[in-house]
This record gives sequence, C-alpha cells and structure tokens, in this order.
Amino acid sequence: MNLKKSLLITIILSLAAIGVWEVYWRSKGYFPDLDDDKFLWARTRAKVDKASSNDVVLIGSSRVLFDIQVPQWEKQTGIKPIQLANAGATPLPIFHDIVENSTFNGTIVVGVTPGLFFSTTFPQAPPWDRAASRAKFYEDQTYAQQLNYALSIPLQKTFAFISNDEEEWYDDINLKALLKTIQLPKRTAKPDMPPFYRFQDIDIDRNVRMKQKVVTDTAFANSVKTVWKFFMSVHRPPPDKEGTMAFFLKDLEKFKARGGKVILVRLPSSGFFHDLETNGLPRKDFWDVLVKKANVPAYYYSDYEKLSGFDTPEWSHLSGPDATLFTERFVNILLEDNLITNTKPN
Amino acid sequence: MLFNSLSFIVFLVVVVALYYSNLLSWNNRKRMLLFTSYVFYGLWNPPLVIILWLSTIVDWVAANNLAVEENQRKRNGWLALSMVVNLGFLGFFKYGNFLLENFTYLMNTIGVEYQAQPMDIILPMGISFYTFQTMSYTLDVYNRKAKPANTFLDFALYVTFFPQLVAGPIVRAGELIEQFYQEKKATVEQFIWGLFLFTLGLFQKVVLADSLLSDTADTVFGSKEALNFWDAWAGTLAFSGQIFFDFAGYSTCAIGIAMMLGFVLPHNFLYPYGAIGFTDFWRRWHITLSTWLRDYLYIPLGGNRLGMTRMYVALMVTMLVGGLWHGAAWTFVVWGALHGFYLVMEKLFRRKVNIKTTQWNGIFLAFLTFTLINFTWVFFRAREFSTAQIMIESMLFLHPNGILVLEYFDLLKVFILVGLLFLTHFYMRHHTVKMVSESVPNWLFSFVWAVMIFLIIIAQGSGEQFIYFQF
Repeated sequence: MNLKKSLLITIILSLAAIGVWEVYWRSKGYFPDLDDDKFLWARTRAKVDKASSNDVVLIGSSRVLFDIQVPQWEKQTGIKPIQLANAGATPLPIFHDIVENSTFNGTIVVGVTPGLFFSTTFPQAPPWDRAASRAKFYEDQTYAQQLNYALSIPLQKTFAFISNDEEEWYDDINLKALLKTIQLPKRTAKPDMPPFYRFQDIDIDRNVRMKQKVVTDTAFANSVKTVWKFFMSVHRPPPDKEGTMAFFLKDLEKFKARGGKVILVRLPSSGFFHDLETNGLPRKDFWDVLVKKANVPAYYYSDYEKLSGFDTPEWSHLSGPDATLFTERFVNILLEDNLITNTKPN
Repeated sequence: MLFNSLSFIVFLVVVVALYYSNLLSWNNRKRMLLFTSYVFYGLWNPPLVIILWLSTIVDWVAANNLAVEENQRKRNGWLALSMVVNLGFLGFFKYGNFLLENFTYLMNTIGVEYQAQPMDIILPMGISFYTFQTMSYTLDVYNRKAKPANTFLDFALYVTFFPQLVAGPIVRAGELIEQFYQEKKATVEQFIWGLFLFTLGLFQKVVLADSLLSDTADTVFGSKEALNFWDAWAGTLAFSGQIFFDFAGYSTCAIGIAMMLGFVLPHNFLYPYGAIGFTDFWRRWHITLSTWLRDYLYIPLGGNRLGMTRMYVALMVTMLVGGLWHGAAWTFVVWGALHGFYLVMEKLFRRKVNIKTTQWNGIFLAFLTFTLINFTWVFFRAREFSTAQIMIESMLFLHPNGILVLEYFDLLKVFILVGLLFLTHFYMRHHTVKMVSESVPNWLFSFVWAVMIFLIIIAQGSGEQFIYFQF
C-alpha cells in the first residue's frame, strides 16, 4: 500500500464530497447562518458584565427575540441592546442570573409571555431549564469551549451545510437530523411531533428575524401553527402564579436597590395563542397583578394604538418588517417616557 | 481540550508545525511539547494544572530518592509520600463526596443523626489516569524495575504528554520516558498512518458513539418504567457500542497523534467484543488499566502463587478496585464485582472442563461472552440500582408488558450496528487494522478514509466530552 498516494486520493475525495454536499444544500435553498445555541448566548451574556448603566438588556421568550429588533433599537438610541431572550423559556432564571451574578445596573426589558412567565420555578421543568441551563453554561464554560466557538463562527458564516441548532429543527442537515427523517412504521405510543421547520434567522448579536417564507407561504406558516397546537395539546401543569411572581419580585427588589431599572412588556399574539392566553391566563389575574406588585413601567401592546394591529403570521411572532416597525414605535414610546438613554444627537 | 473540537485541530496543526520546523533543538521541542500539553489541559480549567504539577514534583523527588536510598525504612517513607499524595488527590477529588455520603448513611443507620452538605468539588479531568501513571513510575523505581528519568523535563513530559494525558493509554515509564531521550521524528509513512488513526478514532467517537448510539442508550436508561424486552436489549447494546467507540476512539486518536510526532503508545483495545471468555476480554479491553491492576495490585496480593482461594480473593479485590476506579458509586463496584465473579467462574470452569476453541464453537463462545458482558454494562451505565434492576429484569423477559420507548428505526440501527461490531471484532481477533488496510487496494482504502472524514464533518458533533474523561 502506498500511503502517500492514499492520502492524496483521500484529500481529493473528501474535498469533492464536501463541495458537492455544500452545493446540493445551497441548491435546496440553504445558506450560511448561525445557530441559536448556548455558545452564542454565553458570548452575548458576557457583554452584560461590561455593560454600563446606560445599557439595555432584553430578556423574555421568543416574542422578545422576534419582535424587538436590535439594529432598529441601536439606530434610534445609539445603544445596542443585549439580546438574552430564549425561545420557549421563562425569563426568570436569566433575570436571577443577572441580579445575582453581575453588577449590571442599567435597564432590563422583560418580555412577559404569560404561559411561560407564570409557568413554573421548578428547575427541571423545560421552560425553566431551557433558560437556566444557558446561564449555568455561561458560568461553567471552559476557555477551550470559548475558543471552539470563536473558531466555529467563520465556518458557520461560510458553509450552508453546518446546521446544528439546539432546537433540533426538522430541516437541520447534520447526520443525526437527517437520520431522524427516515420514516418506518410506528412502534411506540408516543405522539408524533409534527415537523418543526426553522422559521427564523439569527445573527451574531442574537438578533432574530422571521423568515419571509412564513409570510408568503401559508402552508409553511400553518406547519408552525400545527407545532404550536401540538405543544399546547401536551398535558401541562397549571401556572404557578404565586411562586413565579414571588421569585421575580424578590430579584426585582434587589435589582432596584442597586439602581437598576426594569420595564415589563407584553408583546402581540393572535388567533389560537391570543384565545389561549386570554382565557387561560386572563390579563386582570396575571399581568395586572404583576404590574401592580412590581411597580415598574409596563407596556401592554393593545393599550397603545401604535403597538396594536400588527399581524402575527403564525399567531405568536411578528414578521421581520413588522418587527422593525414595532421596535421603532416601542422605542419611541420609551424615549418619550424618558425610560431609556438616547446617545444619538438630535 | 477535546480531540473532537475545532480548537484541538488548530492546536495540533500548531504543535506539529513547531515540532517539525527546524527552529527548535530537541530539548526545546520537548519543552514546547510540555508547554503545549499544559495549555491543552489548562484550557479546560487552569487552576487544576497545579495538581498536575504537584503530582509531577512529588513523584520526581520521591523516585530520585528511591533510586539512591538504601535504607529500607527511608525508601518506604518516600514511597508512602508518593502514594499518600497521589491517592490523597484521587480520594479527595474523586471519592470525597462518595465517602461523605456513605459515612452519613452509616451514621444514620446506627442511629446517629448526622447530616453533611455535599462538597462542591470539581473532578480534575483524567485524574485517575495520570495518578495511576505517576504511581506506576514511583512503584517501578521502588521495585528497582525502572531507573528514574534522566531529566525533570523528560519526566514532566511523561506525566503530561497531551495525546494520552486525560484518558490514557496509561503508559509505563519504560514505554515512554526512554522515547524522549533521543530525537524523534515520524517518517512520512508513520505520519500518514497516524493521521489515519486519528481520523478512525474521531469517526468512532463523533459518528458511531455520539451520532448513532448515544441517544438510544440515553432514552432507554432514562426510562423509569419496566421496559419491553427488545427496548431493554437495544438500550444496553447501544451503550455497549457507545462506550467502546467512545473510549477506543479516544485511545486510537491518542496513538495516532503520538505516532504523528514519532512516538509509539501501547494498544489499549484489541477487539474486546470478539473475546472468548473473560480472561480474554480483559486482555483486550482497556489493556493498560488491566495490566496496571495486574502488576500493582493482583500480583502484590499474591496472584496465583498462594493457592486457589487466595487467587480468587485477589482477583475479586482487583476487580472491585477496578470498578471503583471507574467511578465513585456502588453501581461501579457491582460492575467490577460481576467481572470478578465471571473471572472466578471461568477459572473454576476451566479447571473442570477443557474446551478446545475451534472456528466452529469460537463464535458461539464469543457471543456468550459478549452477552454476559452486556449485563455488566447495565450497572456501569445506570445511575441508580433501581434503574439497573428494571433493565436486568426487562432483559430477562420478566416484564412482558414493559413499555416501548424505541421506534423500529432505533432498534434496527442498534441491532445492525452492534451486530456488525461483534462480527468485526470476532473476525479481527487475529488481525490488525494495518494488516487489513495492506490487503485492500489503495483506492478502496482511500475511499473508506474519505467516507469517514465526510461523515465526521456532516455529523457536526456538539463537542461532547469523552465518557472516560470523568474517570
């Protein structure tokens, strides 16, 4: 065996295979992008430790990720907000992490998605764990992991075939995800989760934008709606209003005491989610009680004409252009109310 | 730093470039290897490099004194110092909480009310490996089987050599230190073969262990309910494959990387699932640990020199310690005890019955061995005895109405993959990868190598830690 010759053939074959793989997925509409994972979250969380009292941190659930556009906020105020919201998660552990593990005393905008905010404080429950595990990862991450991530960014931005999102989307194209698409007759009684396609893009600042396909392709938007219905059909424990509120208010007092400011915001929803939230977690029993006890500025979208009337194509999030407009209006209101700093000259 | 990470690829390229550049003398190249080995370790948790340094310094001083000291009491003292420091680190970092939990349990059992807060201890990566390695050095010098290293640099590099620092192979002084005395450079053929082994190891870890088997094992062992017979077996077989590919993958990477630098590390795995009998299994599984336990525990306990009963006792003690070496939990002790029991039974059986292994009964005996080995893996993987009990009962068909947790695809994947693993190991009992690769055409070898690289790249593993790092 001639090893030199073997190595040469191997290099040629490997490069050709990867090249064909990349071209194939690009032809299917994939393009290089980042994954929303714990590494990107931790990289963003690190900014809080260097932030000043003029800075703004965004926490909450996916509605904060989709609906508040980081570049638009920066365009209007000169300050780039630090986006730390997490999809499908309560903001409480993140707020707790910032209060307990940093000296940040700027402004924190807390998105209140009732079904998640008031869900639980049980550490193993998914809405809690999804957020808390990221805060823990930030504390525990090694230098090697930070270095790995720094090296992965240019690769993620170059190759479309790199897709390894923690959400494990149906249309991810890593080996595990591809194997999961193989369908054989069903054996277990577990309900089949409908395909959950990635419907947003994220950038290095964790700014998330809904894919335009959700707006233009009704079938695609419906596939996301089907997933929401599936999630809501699974038995869920009742909300823990008292427990979650007590947890939040305790941290809030500590944060206020060191000069920090908190702004609560309730972002738009429609259709199935709107009905579910209105009936299951009525505003007067949840939001209003929270606002009264927290005694901080609070914005409920439907109270403001400028924040109302937006379309949510899959019931829960704004399209990219709408999110930009919504952010513009929301920031204007905050500036008018003198709640955030504007470093830009008039 | 993990082998299956981007930072390691960059690290390796830098190390190899510096090593083969003509900028550095041999001594400076060794210094560079030592420094980069500390970087390799320190990028995980820098302060814990201090433990590595302490272990290195204590054994260097102890062994140098042992080499020149003639007074037996003083020699015993130097040996005791090394053992106390190394086993002390191991005891504190690895077994501290386990000892505390058991002490608390014991106190409560005898009616003494005692509660202790668990200690917040970080387990230094690979501590079991490097403490056993340094202890072997001091013990060999004590027993006059080895001479102390020529220089502190050679010894420090022996303790810290990055390819095998965190998960072995556990290398004896004679196997590695002397390789540092003379300038080493891999030939082009050795370098390429080392690169191939590195790829093979990564393929085992990233593709086979992490992408194809780990989820199935996690699903099955995560179940709190009694399982269907097929699910229980699939979960156990998946873990059986995962642990092999994970650990053998690491060893193969380590051997390959060392070879790229011109060093030879010993084999750690020789197709263990093709073993016929348990003695054969332990000659093929984690070879450097089993030989360590044989030389520094089993033989000092009497080995087979003091009669059959003492031999069986020594064997059981050795396997119990081997179990505990893997983890601070009683489930690991039971894993070791089961292996000890198998070995004792095999020896008793062989005394009564003489079975000649032929090519016809060989595969049946290997399959029987593999099946029994799988029962031991249940205790290794289960975090609690209740889980292990459910699994064993389900595997013995005691829960005909056990729940189904795996889909047909998972079952097919595991049974085909682990079936092929068993058959490959049986076939490879008397072969090596080198022999097989030399018997196939160049294009086929290259094709297989390229397929492995392609699958590693599209697997895009999330940099999951090697299982044995925790040991």
